[in-house]
Amino acid sequence: MSNDHKVIGRSVPRADSRSKVLGEAKYADDLSLPGMVYGKVLRSPHPHAHIRSIDTSRARDCSGVVAVLTAKDIPGERTMGPIIKDQPVLCSDVVRYVGDAVALVAAESERSAEEALAQIVVEYEALTPVLDPLKAMEPGAPQVHSRGNIGTHFKVRRGDVEAAFRDATVVVEKRFFYPRVEHAYMETEIALVAGDPSGGVTVWSSTQYPHLDREEVSRVLGLPQSRVRVHQMMTGGGFGGKLNPHAQCLAALIAWKTGRPAKLRYSREESLIASYKCHPYVIDMMLGANREGKLLAVGATLVGNTGAYLLQGRAVITKSATHVSGPYYIPNIKADAYAVFTNCVPCGAMRGYGVPQVAFALESLMDELAGRLGLDPIELRSRNALDTTLPNATGQIMRASVPIKEMLGRAKLTVQALRPLLEQAPESKRRGVGVACSTRGIGSIRKASRSTAVVGLHPDGSVTVACGHVDLGQGSNTMMAQVAAEELGVDVERVEVVTNDTAVAPDCESTSASRVTYLSGNAVRLAAAKTRLRVLELAAQDLGCAPEDLRLMNGSVVYREQGVRLAELFSKHTFHSMTSVAEFLPDTVPLDPETGQGAPAGTFNFNVHVALVEVDEGTGQVRVLRYVALTDVGRMINPLAVEGQVHGGMMMGLGSALMEEVRVEEGVINASFATYLIPTTFDVPQELVIEVVEDPEPTGPFGAKGFAEGSLDPVGATIANAVSNAIGVRINRLPMTGERIHELLHQRLA
Amino acid sequence: MNEPRDIRVTINGEAYSISAAPNETLLDFLRYRRGLVGTKKGCDTGDCGSCTVLVDGKAVNSCLVLAVETNGASVTTIEGMISAGQLHPLQQAFIDHGAVQCGFCTPGMIMAAKFLLEEEPNPTEEDIRFAMAGNLCRCTGYVSIMKAIAAAGKALRGGK
Repeated sequence: MSNDHKVIGRSVPRADSRSKVLGEAKYADDLSLPGMVYGKVLRSPHPHAHIRSIDTSRARDCSGVVAVLTAKDIPGERTMGPIIKDQPVLCSDVVRYVGDAVALVAAESERSAEEALAQIVVEYEALTPVLDPLKAMEPGAPQVHSRGNIGTHFKVRRGDVEAAFRDATVVVEKRFFYPRVEHAYMETEIALVAGDPSGGVTVWSSTQYPHLDREEVSRVLGLPQSRVRVHQMMTGGGFGGKLNPHAQCLAALIAWKTGRPAKLRYSREESLIASYKCHPYVIDMMLGANREGKLLAVGATLVGNTGAYLLQGRAVITKSATHVSGPYYIPNIKADAYAVFTNCVPCGAMRGYGVPQVAFALESLMDELAGRLGLDPIELRSRNALDTTLPNATGQIMRASVPIKEMLGRAKLTVQALRPLLEQAPESKRRGVGVACSTRGIGSIRKASRSTAVVGLHPDGSVTVACGHVDLGQGSNTMMAQVAAEELGVDVERVEVVTNDTAVAPDCESTSASRVTYLSGNAVRLAAAKTRLRVLELAAQDLGCAPEDLRLMNGSVVYREQGVRLAELFSKHTFHSMTSVAEFLPDTVPLDPETGQGAPAGTFNFNVHVALVEVDEGTGQVRVLRYVALTDVGRMINPLAVEGQVHGGMMMGLGSALMEEVRVEEGVINASFATYLIPTTFDVPQELVIEVVEDPEPTGPFGAKGFAEGSLDPVGATIANAVSNAIGVRINRLPMTGERIHELLHQRLA
Repeated sequence: MNEPRDIRVTINGEAYSISAAPNETLLDFLRYRRGLVGTKKGCDTGDCGSCTVLVDGKAVNSCLVLAVETNGASVTTIEGMISAGQLHPLQQAFIDHGAVQCGFCTPGMIMAAKFLLEEEPNPTEEDIRFAMAGNLCRCTGYVSIMKAIAAAGKALRGGK
């Protein structure tokens, strides 16, 4: 494809990377304010208990303590959350998991605050907990909330599943288990809050959604949103985990009650115990096909353990249910997804948002089905892959940019190339190759979301972009700068992108759901195009030509090789800068609550991954030797950033596949990086290849669409299929630790 | 027992005579007493490597070292990597290879890599994996970090 763009499609190092390699970039803990106090949270040691009493008197007398606060000190709303606002800021009557916040100490130092926690006396009356989501669904189970343990039930219904299974030549079914996974951002949750002279507060936080911080702090303090200003500081990773501004609300409460600036930072242990995780799932799935390998039906019960609070559970399980048929056309569908309350640590958003779980189940069954039909796994997938005429699980037909068949064709060649390596396994090792696919709707699944951008072109040719989608490290600010630079004919270095201040940047919903490139890329492009057109119209009027005869270049309007400087043009027409606002809202149809049918996403991303693994027969350890990630991005805006997202997503998926599981026995028992292991340099495959497939999305900015979570979605399934291929046993549970694989190998040999 | 002790320590080439509490970690001392906040606190238990600095040229987790233990030592932090306004080749390579995303692990990564390249100017890929295995990163999947380190090694060797 020809690239007549100057900036789009070129690798641009992220704008803040210089400040980061110098150690100059400021994260929230790098800020201090005069008179600042430190907050620490007393957390429940019980998974389920009544609070009889809280005695804070001894803690108040501890040296250095400034205040000890409980729920009764909250001036506004007492619960908070990202979507469903059901988590107590501080519990007053019941605690529902080990880690629930009960009381808050503010002191002159972090150490004094920590020491005073031990002096708070809470009298609990223990209640019976329920930790297993399947048990929680049974009648008579302990109740986590008075409303019952099923937080949400979401259905997808199409066709006649029972009849289709009767007609099917082959039906496969299995129960699958996907682990509870920790985001493990390197920077823990943190906020600094100070009162300001207007009677409001200012927040400096690590966040994926500063406007949500604003909303929640305003609710908890009982202030208008206009009196809360949030500065997103450099954010040390998010991955969906920094969408629940609990630390922000607690720090705000201290600042409000003490009149002093307050910093509250979770320790690593606290972050692992108390903050929400990726939903673990139990999935019962059944898949049927005819003799030719045409899929006829899928039936699934998806149970997500949402823990003590619903937060985002409703949206996560909706995402799973609506992606139950993956990138395949399956005429008959029946899916029931449940977000179930338990007395476990809450679960919420994490990269993937319910899709990796369902992809693990579906893609495992696809391999099993291929085996039963005597078909090559890629061939079976190709025969059922979506195209621009076939509907996905919600009945949505994507009219363009559906390159899954082409990707499967390329995957076939990849597998052929890897095959000789299968024969080269060293003694006592087994090798296997696996393939899996995924698709995902870009953006929110339950309600449409809009992005708004403001683009100002200044008389010196520099540009300011204001848009509320923040950069967590993925490079979205650089993407927005590229889009604006392309439209306005300036170098990317001349564009300043402001996303991190609620007083400047419009609320665009959260940085999540792989939405930023598609939504805000479009909003920035539209606003920049509007600005450009207005400038060209002014100049055209002066020059007596048409705007189409003119172009913008480096701060001038160019007409027949003659330039008119913007400073001159603006001054003449009484403009200072030329500023325009634009919004982008994708064309969607909401999901029907009874059938789950609708068209909830503006565009979809596709992935086909291939893995070559080696299993040690002695230890069961799995190593991924080669990995190929075929990635559909519509069109690349910044290849360097695309590469970074795919590498990071793939390795995060490898963690879920092979080693990661937040284990709960009453509370989280592996609450450190010594006991909760994430991948290191040792786990990186010898070869990790990204093959980007460019099939432009007509509604995307310059053809681009989101893909960041897609790089994780099929990883667990891909590695599991490769391990199954190596050891000859189907895998139905992640992570595939050495212990589990060793057990499977020896069961098979016995 | 918790009385502050006087120590002499060189930080990024400048000599300081300071007093430190015996239970104060080098990390807290650097960050909260000296304002050298480029060194990050990721776990405070020696598991993540975000706080890596050099003490007498060796990479250490500064959360596991007490400030008083650095008496007489020379400490280099990320702030000491730039010289005469020039980025260190590792810093430039991290930028060029997209080895920086959220950036929280970056200072520790760069310091650990500096130690590696001083010990082994021409590291193999295995050397890099081994040297960096104690530094966690959740954004990059390590691929671009390993590439950047190899490229910086090459640049430091004069392109060979």
